[in-house]
Amino acid sequence: MKVANGKDFWAGLMFIGFGLGFMGVANNYAMGTAVRMGPAYFPTVLGGMLAVLGVAIFLRAFVSKIPHPVGVFPFRLWFVVGGLALGVIAYYTQVPRDGGDVAKIAHELLAGVSIGLLFAAFGPRSLWVILFSVVAFGYLLKPLGLVLATGVLIFGSAWGGHEFKTREVTFLFVALAVFSVFAFVKGLGLPMNIWPAFLE
Amino acid sequence: MEALFTNLGLGFSVALSFQNLFYCFMGVVLGTLIGVLPGIGPVATIAMLLPVTFTLNPTSALIMLAGIYYGAQYGGSTTAILVNLPGESSSVVTCLDGYQMARQGRAGAALGVAALGSFFAGCCATIIIALFAPPLAEVALKFGPAEYFSLMVLGLIAATVLAHGSLIKAIAMVILGLLLGLVGTDVNSGVARFAFGVSELSDGIGFVSVAMGVFGFAEIIGNLEQKGEREIFVKKVTGLLPTWQDIKDCTPSVLRGTALGSFLGILPGGGALLASFAAYTLEKKISKNSANFGKGAIQGVAAPESANNAGAQTSFIPLLTLGIPSNPVMALMIGAMMIQGIAPGPQVMTERPQLFWGMIASMWVGNLMLVVLNLPLIGMWIKLLQVPYRLLYPAILLFCCVGVYSLSNSPFDVMQTAVFGVVGYIWVKLECEPAPLILGFILGPLMEENLRRAMLLSRGDPLVFFQRPISLTMLLIAAFLLVIVLAPTVRKKRDEAFVEA
Repeated sequence: MKVANGKDFWAGLMFIGFGLGFMGVANNYAMGTAVRMGPAYFPTVLGGMLAVLGVAIFLRAFVSKIPHPVGVFPFRLWFVVGGLALGVIAYYTQVPRDGGDVAKIAHELLAGVSIGLLFAAFGPRSLWVILFSVVAFGYLLKPLGLVLATGVLIFGSAWGGHEFKTREVTFLFVALAVFSVFAFVKGLGLPMNIWPAFLE
Repeated sequence: MEALFTNLGLGFSVALSFQNLFYCFMGVVLGTLIGVLPGIGPVATIAMLLPVTFTLNPTSALIMLAGIYYGAQYGGSTTAILVNLPGESSSVVTCLDGYQMARQGRAGAALGVAALGSFFAGCCATIIIALFAPPLAEVALKFGPAEYFSLMVLGLIAATVLAHGSLIKAIAMVILGLLLGLVGTDVNSGVARFAFGVSELSDGIGFVSVAMGVFGFAEIIGNLEQKGEREIFVKKVTGLLPTWQDIKDCTPSVLRGTALGSFLGILPGGGALLASFAAYTLEKKISKNSANFGKGAIQGVAAPESANNAGAQTSFIPLLTLGIPSNPVMALMIGAMMIQGIAPGPQVMTERPQLFWGMIASMWVGNLMLVVLNLPLIGMWIKLLQVPYRLLYPAILLFCCVGVYSLSNSPFDVMQTAVFGVVGYIWVKLECEPAPLILGFILGPLMEENLRRAMLLSRGDPLVFFQRPISLTMLLIAAFLLVIVLAPTVRKKRDEAFVEA
């Protein structure tokens, strides 16, 4: 058997995975009856339908008349494996509330690397560079303040593009940092600190 | 008739208050501004600006959001005409003839006709909403849970039938959307479903995150993948007011486009995109010199532009009367209403006449603002289009991130959005349309709720959906739609319609 349509092949697998995944997790909740549906009822039915459709799409991939290569977009399996492994470690090694700062930072770094690997597994370089700078912005906004977090986001995402001209990006960063301080913090009054928390 | 005038009078008194005029203006300007940028469509624009409206009162918030919607719609056509890049999907067809007109030095006429045609369509659509929404809402008030459930089935099926691409994938995406919508605390049992112990997830997945990740981030990354420079053909636009000949040429097209667009907008799954495609195809079919189409026929700009504006507005009818979104933008509107504490549905009109009629009147006001604003401001939009994309996208990302972060002041939402960015990228690559997913996502909890109630009332008898006439009719229409699309001849036509345009 040869895969004719790579897009259908992967899409089918994805829908089967989601369908069975939702059914599997819903298994932990009460099913109830048709009269009094429990929390598991609707998701189980939908998950089953999704898995069936997934199988149909998957099978169609072998008979499809629309040819697509199996490699639809760049995919790096080892990144997924590594990211998942680190993610599982991070999930099960939660630092207790009274744990030291070093342990906390180490734990967050571990989680960060795991997420970065998972993002980096798919698509072109720009995908993970940009999305990772987005996530970094989110997590750095509080500790570093709006200006520095904006810097991380702007330099990071610009680096993810095709052309990176340091001077141009620096200018963009300054302009956007000034704009966002005035528009978001002063203008709209969003509760964000402008500078790093330890300076204010 | 008299009631209509009193109602519209009430609406205008709300819409013309200083505060609401201001928010309508802000919405229209911001919407056009972001709509002009290529690659950022109305869904991403609304998702990005949604947090700004949370602090407003519900009426002003919805007026502003509606303004953003048709502003973005409008900005999209400017980009289509000047750069040959659709600012959003419903202006894809405008590119065909609009850009050719621009190359022939008639960019001004194309922009002018698009603006005036849209304004005319907007006026008509506003009246249609005012006329048809109240009787429809009356009917909807009689709906029980079984009818609602069947209505949602019909809406979702129609959305998949009218989406382009593979039907089976679209249905799978709807179901996946329904499932993702179920994440979070179950209202009946209090169980936090699919939350994996993450406290943020027990409130459910944020719909802003889904919409912005899938329609915003994934699109930016997709744009970056296509290298190549945009060419702006026109540096300066003159002659915005169309000549008499132009007006004579395109008046019938505008009328046909408006009629077709208004009708298609009401259908579930319809809206601006379908309207503009259909109007273009129709014009091309009935035109005496159809060979001119694609080479700068003014009718090829007038008809789809009127149609998409009419469709964009009449798609508010199912939202306001039934509480059912017909496209992703309306799904976001429902989300915004819920955040404002308004349960979307037929009762909105009777319980909150100010909001309902104020919003309708504001649509007319907003359209007027668009004409007044855009014709003179066109020079500014051209300047904006000259900014290279490598400088624009970091700025867009920043606004998206600040918007998402401010939803609940937590990095979790930003993270969630990034995850949907990756997933959205994969979906696009696998040709799984994300629009049906968003509809399913919004309707998931509502559908489960109505299914539960209907089954409880019928004591577990699933035949209830077939015994009640309205419910049965809707299920039959849904089945009929599926059968038509699966029939080989229609299937071919459907593919052609989307390929051709």
